Amino acid sequence: MLSIILLRLKKLKGEYYVFLIMTALSLVLAFIFSSAYNSDYTPMVLIVNNDDSAYSQKAIDELVNSDTFNYKIVSYDKATEEVRKGSALAAIVIKENFGESIDNNNTPTLGIIKTKNDRDIMVLQSIMNSITSKMISNIKIAQNTADYIGEITDANKDELFKKAYDNAVKGWKYQKTININVSTLEADTELYYDNTIHSIIGFSLFFSMYTIVFAIGEILNDRKYRTWQRILVSPISKTSMLGGNLVVSFLVGVVQIVILFAASQFLFGVDYGSNFAALATILIVFIFTVTSLGLFLSGIVKNHAQLSALTPIVLTSTAMLGGTMWPLEIVNSDIILGLANITPQKWAIQGVKALAVYNEGFEGIVTPAIVLLGMGLVFFGLGVKLVKYD
Amino acid sequence: MSLLKVNNLKKYFKEVKAVNGITFDVKKGEVFGLLGPNGAGKSTTISMISTLFNPTSGEITYNGESIVEKPKAIQQKLGVVPQEIALYPTLSGLENLKFWGHAYGLRGSELNKRIEDISQVIGIKDRLKDKIEKYSGGMKRRINIGAALLHKPDLLIMDEPTVGIDPQSRNHILDTVLKLNEEGMTIIYTSHYMEEVEYLCSRISIMDMGEIIASGTQEELVDIIKGQKKINIKLDHVDDTLISIIKTIEYVEKVETHENEMILTTQNGENIFKDLISKTAETESNILSIDIKKPNLEAVFLHLTGKALRD
Repeated sequence: MLSIILLRLKKLKGEYYVFLIMTALSLVLAFIFSSAYNSDYTPMVLIVNNDDSAYSQKAIDELVNSDTFNYKIVSYDKATEEVRKGSALAAIVIKENFGESIDNNNTPTLGIIKTKNDRDIMVLQSIMNSITSKMISNIKIAQNTADYIGEITDANKDELFKKAYDNAVKGWKYQKTININVSTLEADTELYYDNTIHSIIGFSLFFSMYTIVFAIGEILNDRKYRTWQRILVSPISKTSMLGGNLVVSFLVGVVQIVILFAASQFLFGVDYGSNFAALATILIVFIFTVTSLGLFLSGIVKNHAQLSALTPIVLTSTAMLGGTMWPLEIVNSDIILGLANITPQKWAIQGVKALAVYNEGFEGIVTPAIVLLGMGLVFFGLGVKLVKYD
Repeated sequence: MSLLKVNNLKKYFKEVKAVNGITFDVKKGEVFGLLGPNGAGKSTTISMISTLFNPTSGEITYNGESIVEKPKAIQQKLGVVPQEIALYPTLSGLENLKFWGHAYGLRGSELNKRIEDISQVIGIKDRLKDKIEKYSGGMKRRINIGAALLHKPDLLIMDEPTVGIDPQSRNHILDTVLKLNEEGMTIIYTSHYMEEVEYLCSRISIMDMGEIIASGTQEELVDIIKGQKKINIKLDHVDDTLISIIKTIEYVEKVETHENEMILTTQNGENIFKDLISKTAETESNILSIDIKKPNLEAVFLHLTGKALRD
């Protein structure tokens, strides 16, 4: 096996620039994609105000004060046209009886005109829930305050209401941070979404898979150059032949992942938590799985050209399903979420995010590591069976 | 003493009978030739002897031990020069030799010494540090041979080692084979070049369509067509009258024409000259030259199969 390992390392040394380019490219692309998801672009949200009450105006003021989206008040027809054309993310429709519902202690209704469900729509719905809840609370506080003070004094109830409302708004502002958390809980969602961390983890894993799969795919070049057959008639055993290739491909994966993760930590400030051993474990198991996947893919194709055609299809589709490009938390389809379970990427991201995002320890990577190991062993078994020795 | 014995060896690929029941043996210290056209089954036979394929049936024994049952024990004693160049193109000649030497268990100074010796044998010492992809076809062939010699094999198997190279490299390879044999190495040499086999091999098996159609020394094989000779006659012109007259000469078995040349296949060819000259004189054609071809393996193959070796 040592002969094969030394050979592969020697070949790698001669082609080190390919490895460097792939690593640098992975880093640059991970950075570009994560930046793209975190750009300063702010979607436009239109507001259609069909209720001419003071309450609707207050709701609009609250919305406009939030800086997540840009807002513009338009007519209903204009709103539907703009949303349909895609020039606005969505339109919020304040129904005619919005103010009346609040006065009557009924739940007021806000409508949304949209063409799709995506992350921004979810955020918008969350903001709307938060603002209306907060506004209704403010109104109720101001009404009760005005009624009570009005009864024990001669003060003007309308003026009292206005002052009490303004004070309530100020009070919310003072506790803004707490409000954000509360609104998240009120929205009944566990979504904790950090684009930079997710994108860097996702794209680092995604691009490193190419390097690992093509590293093990070198055995197909051996067949092309007839060195495969020549090794088979030498005293080197088949186990050593395959083992040497797997070891070097695994090491290539380790080196690249270490570079990518270290660079993301030191260049982009990604914090992978304090449990290095857990991070190393999940990544090593992932690299084993991808190496085995590479062996399996090399076993089902006849030559390197076929591998080059098949690999992008397999890796890109599983990357999309597995949530390397966007978080699975924003996916609603049960089918896609079900299919994600059979991709190594999903489990690797879940494990790394458990450490980097949720600051969990080993307990966060146990399930992902076991699933990845299982997948790796299946791919390994199939790969060994399928690799052609003649 | 037989070093290698092949007995009733068969290799079928589905319906294709690539090798169909061949038997031969290779004696220690000889250059044994497998001669046959492309597709005759030579490379498949070599692949089975070198342990790359298992036979469909039959036996191969090396020094009495079955190659099929104990391939790893025998691989160390074999040197295999494959028909295709089997080297790493992005590595240098030296790096390739180091790898193949390492694969056969050579290490350190022993490996370096063998590489130095072998690079002299194959005549490529000056270019060893160049990458294989920069080599000419002939140089690649030489390294291809060198890689099989590093571990001093007892039996060297060479499968068409001179295909597609320049005459100079070819001559160097043939001389190398003879030199290695003089030093005691047993060699199996396959080729479809009749002259190479004639030059190198003491015993030959002729293969066609997966079967051995004749075996023996060169003399024994040529004896199959004993008495048969080919006579090439160049004339100023050839016409139908001349051909029909020549066909009437006793001992002339076959007349072939090519422009102003006639090729006669004869028995006891030396007896026809008198008739040949007198009969030609009766026509309007004049003889420019006469060349008697000595019987060779090409003629044997033609005699046995009805086709030329390079068809």
